[in-house]
Amino acid sequence: MTQNSKARLLLSDLQQDQKATVKTCVANGVLKQKLLNMGIIPGAEILMIRNAPLRDPIEIGIQNYFLTIRRSEAKLIRVEAL
Amino acid sequence: MINVALAGQPNSGKSTIFNMLSGVNQHVANYPGVTVDKKSACIKHHGESYQIVDLPGTYSFSMFSLEERVAKSFLLDEETDVIVNVVDASNLRRNLYLTFQLLELGKPVVLVLNMMDVAKRREIAIDCDMLAQMLNVQIVESIGSQQQGKAEILAAIERASQQSMTKPFMINYNELETYIAQLEKQITLESTIARRWLAIKALEGDDLILKKVGLTTESIRDLTATVHTRHDLDVDQSFACQRYASADLVYHKCVEEKQLGKVNLTAKIDRLILNRWLAFPILGLVIYLIYQLSIIGGYKLTNYTWPLFASLKNIVIDMVPEAQFIDLPPITDFAIWMVNSAIALLNYLPIFFILFALIAILEDVGYMPRMAFILDRVFRRYGLHGQSTLPLVLGGAFVGGCAVPGIMATKGIADERARLATILTVPYMNCLAKVPFYTLLLGAFFPNQMGQMMFYISTVTLFIALIVARFLTSTILANRETAPFIMELPPYHLPTIKGVLLRAFQRVYLYIKKVVTVVMAVAVVLFVLLQYPGVPGDKMAGFRDEANNALADFDRQAKKTGVYTLVDEQTEVFALINLYDGYKAKRMLAGSKKAVVALDQLFLAANPQLFPLVRPENSSRADAKKINKAVRKLSKVNKRLQMAIKSEKIANSFLGLFGRALEPITRFSGFDWRINVAFLSSFAARESAVATLGSIYETGQAGQRAEESIAQDGVYTPLHAVAMLLFMILSPPCIATMVVVKLQSNSYKWMLFATFFPITLGIIISSLFFTLASSLGWSGIQMMQYFYICVAALALALAFIKIKPSAWQVGE
Ligand SMILES: Nc1nc2c(ncn2[C@@H]2O[C@H](COP(=O)(O)OP(=O)(O)OP(=O)(O)O)[C@@H](O)[C@H]2O)c(=O)[nH]1
Ligand SMILES: [Mg+2]
Repeated sequence: MTQNSKARLLLSDLQQDQKATVKTCVANGVLKQKLLNMGIIPGAEILMIRNAPLRDPIEIGIQNYFLTIRRSEAKLIRVEAL
Repeated sequence: MINVALAGQPNSGKSTIFNMLSGVNQHVANYPGVTVDKKSACIKHHGESYQIVDLPGTYSFSMFSLEERVAKSFLLDEETDVIVNVVDASNLRRNLYLTFQLLELGKPVVLVLNMMDVAKRREIAIDCDMLAQMLNVQIVESIGSQQQGKAEILAAIERASQQSMTKPFMINYNELETYIAQLEKQITLESTIARRWLAIKALEGDDLILKKVGLTTESIRDLTATVHTRHDLDVDQSFACQRYASADLVYHKCVEEKQLGKVNLTAKIDRLILNRWLAFPILGLVIYLIYQLSIIGGYKLTNYTWPLFASLKNIVIDMVPEAQFIDLPPITDFAIWMVNSAIALLNYLPIFFILFALIAILEDVGYMPRMAFILDRVFRRYGLHGQSTLPLVLGGAFVGGCAVPGIMATKGIADERARLATILTVPYMNCLAKVPFYTLLLGAFFPNQMGQMMFYISTVTLFIALIVARFLTSTILANRETAPFIMELPPYHLPTIKGVLLRAFQRVYLYIKKVVTVVMAVAVVLFVLLQYPGVPGDKMAGFRDEANNALADFDRQAKKTGVYTLVDEQTEVFALINLYDGYKAKRMLAGSKKAVVALDQLFLAANPQLFPLVRPENSSRADAKKINKAVRKLSKVNKRLQMAIKSEKIANSFLGLFGRALEPITRFSGFDWRINVAFLSSFAARESAVATLGSIYETGQAGQRAEESIAQDGVYTPLHAVAMLLFMILSPPCIATMVVVKLQSNSYKWMLFATFFPITLGIIISSLFFTLASSLGWSGIQMMQYFYICVAALALALAFIKIKPSAWQVGE
């Protein structure tokens, strides 16, 4: 595995206030539908806003609104830092 | 009749628009088969009647939550003529995602641009003509919270209902178009829905639509695989991307935003509310305020409503036949019992009203999802959900609450498993009506450690609830549907007073309608079980002898006075006693001196001859005073005998027999039949436990309270008391709660489970600890402490054992 870490960046890895774009999403079924409906589509811009006070879930800004998602699901979304 | 559906994404203001259109003449019911509220109203406009339905918010035509499912099936199945799509004008781009799909349905649509005030404040300019032209739809601007746009929306609905769809709106899905056309040809279904829409949804693999049009999941799977190999495209993703791209296009052509990139107010507020250090203190404060205002404040309010109910009771008592000394006519007995049972429940109305209003405010403001965000991690450990917080708090996570509103507040939880688990655990919280029972027992057996014991009781319930939740979700609920936690944090909004009050009234009304009726039915059954077969003849004869002695005594006293003619017949004596008791009851309710004077005059006018004997202070005759003394004594004897008869009746009643029959089982927890009867009768309303225990133990001795007589009775030790406390802590919710469990879980099976699981658990735990404590020689306090330690340790330990991952958690 010589790929640099940037290419393997996951949504759950983002630091506070870091910006990124969605690359791919490896979810299936209902979860995939839900993520697509909420605007997590390739190319969409994401801003990592904050962790919950207990670190999980996280709050992100996407498509001009705020979305919360658990880390376990955020791990399924690959992003590219901006 | 024209059917109009209000659809839109969550929080776009549908309900506000609905309230504006319909006023107060709305009708709330449930959608068939599910527990989601269906609000509808019938209005008249230009001679035509319109049936308007407020649908739950939905992001798309997906079926993620119960509410989305309801909205979807309503838009598809019912004979909907016009769709009113309410969108948040300040967030047009994202709202268009649903709008496109609604337009594609091919039904007449009215697009309502709501929240224009917010858009204006953020300097978002929308070119409505352009938008109307691009989407080929009527557009109305509105500000729901300021009642603006009603006439325009009605006019647009009227026009839409008359127009026939000429050219439905279309998005070009590029490569997918050939496949859509191909499916369109395969679909032969005749319906009011555009065939193209059905084809698109079929291609998206929507099960509901596939069934509707008669295609198989496999054929679609093959088709998507073909698309994937030929074009290297993921079907679902391309649909979503294409919709977002179209939304982007429309947005750029029609909307001009001047403050782009500026931090909006919601983000600023969230910096505080969701701050890492402040989030918990603020959450605590909010919960504390709700608790203070509703439970404590509402309880204070009951001080003012109580006299109202009490005078209602007096009115009823005035209407039924009077007692003939110790012989209470059964109908009178029954009426008093029913009124008491009704009052026990109605007493809580102020609490419920305040609570429901506060919840409505929190919902409208947008704090609920934030609460879930903050606490999700804790609750997830036990299979619950962030949104379980409020139900548990309302149920009585502190000193006391009520399971009924708590369970009602579980509606919004998207995760089905967590929702059921919450419904089934809320009843373990400390019900407000259990508190008198606790204080009774603590007062009798632990007068010096009351604070300490109360602390154990009120905190241990939360641990128990968490353990039970964890147990249920990893056993019988393990295979229930769960939902990933993906939730919008909506922008903050100021709620409208009208919206909040309407919702609070609707929920209180539903409570009265559904709960009170059932509880009254149960009260009837309990009455019969407690009354019959009645006091055995020989015992009754004994009571009668005593009564006759007392009456003879009174007669002797009366003879010595000059007013004997007034009371020389037995019916006159009975009337005098009733007058005396009736006056005393009403006198207690008369607050001021003036009220007392008025009351006196009223009674004097009605009973000019007898009343002076009841209230001799206003009479100058010494005879009256003498008689009065005798009356007082007679009344006391009467009360004592009535109590004794009642207690004897209970002992001999069916419920009493049942209580005895249960003794072999309850023996291990130290409960004798009397305690069993108290618990059984408390099932209608928790208050009855104290009342029944009181009347069983009522010795009739003046000035002795129930707790004293229980403590002095000598049969029970502090260990018995703790066993009773443990059972009460775990014990099943009252009938009202059961009804709500049935309503919210929509199944009698869960209702029965919610009843018998806690009973079994309560019996096992109290037997276990009672047996341990008696054989190891623990004190009552020790028994409670050990129980507390066990429960707390178990709850904490469970938090560290990982829960089984959900079925949807797939991926590479
Ligand atoms: N500023 C402003 N607030 C509004 C307007 N319309 C509604 N609101 C507020 O927005 C919040 C949400 O409104 P609702 O009517 O409950 O939204 P809804 O679409 O029914 O939401 P769901 O039923 O959850 O899908 C409430 O606090 C309303 O008072 C508006 O035109 N301007
Ligand atoms: Mg609504």
